[in-house]
Amino acid sequence: MARAAFFIRITVMLSPLLLLAEATGHVAEASAAHGEAGSGITKIFQDFGISWPFFLAQVLNFSLVAFILWKFAFKPVMATLDERQKKIADGLRYTEEMQAKLAAAQQESSTIVHNSQVEAARIIDEARRAAKEYLDKQTREAATQANDLLAKARQAVELEHKKMLAETRGEIARLVVATTERVLAKKLSDADRAAYNDAAAHELTGV
Amino acid sequence: MASGKKQFQRLARQLFKLSLVDDAVSPERVGGVLAYVERHHPAHARALLQSYHRLIAAELARGRADVEHAGAVPQLTLDAIAAAMTKRYQRPVTAAARRNDALLAGLRIRIGDDVYESSVAAQLSALGASV
Repeated sequence: MARAAFFIRITVMLSPLLLLAEATGHVAEASAAHGEAGSGITKIFQDFGISWPFFLAQVLNFSLVAFILWKFAFKPVMATLDERQKKIADGLRYTEEMQAKLAAAQQESSTIVHNSQVEAARIIDEARRAAKEYLDKQTREAATQANDLLAKARQAVELEHKKMLAETRGEIARLVVATTERVLAKKLSDADRAAYNDAAAHELTGV
Repeated sequence: MASGKKQFQRLARQLFKLSLVDDAVSPERVGGVLAYVERHHPAHARALLQSYHRLIAAELARGRADVEHAGAVPQLTLDAIAAAMTKRYQRPVTAAARRNDALLAGLRIRIGDDVYESSVAAQLSALGASV
């Protein structure tokens, strides 16, 4: 693009020379047509006041100026323009890459978020299940402990009841024995005791 | 100390064996043993005599039936008990009566560590224990 503008400017600068050359061409053609080819150009130059040395000096001067401008003005400007153009292209490419990366990152983040949501849902379900199992277990253990306590309490009551019955029975037996002993001590006569002693002696000696 | 104790116990057993005649305690032999101890004064004489006394008492208890009774017990019954125990233990056993009204009625015979009892008190006690 910059090169095209440069060539346009060169063309504009050289246009007077082209017009001059074209006019010279027309004069030459006219001279040739009139059969005055050798002196026609000279006549034209003379008519227009063109001197060959000055003309060549102008051409050389113009070429020198054009070269200097090309070397020290247009070329750095063109290099700067190319560099800027390259930077712009790099920026655009970088922007596209960034957009692609951004899209990929968004895709990845959406995937991560989705996976996180799935994992969170799974963890929540697992926690709920574990909590339910723990609650059921605690409930069962509490029920078992309650049943054990109830059974132990029943056993304790039963044992206490049996113990009380045994103590009562023993106390009654003791009272009965004591009462019987007192009654027998009063009621047994010497004859009864003698008869019992004979029977006991017979029993013991016969053992 | 332990060896000394074993020593006088051994000596007490030897003196006890010397005191027996036909598996019965002989008063003469016992008198001779006591005279020996009095004359020679062996070591640990007091402990020796206590051990000897225990052995003699146990032997006498083995030959004596202690009959506890409530109510009258005729001598004939005591003789029958002595004869029965002599026959059972294969050694002379004498019967000694001792009144014990706690038996209410019946007899309790002790020979050494053995006890034979047939009394109303024992039956009542067994009845009370079985209820």
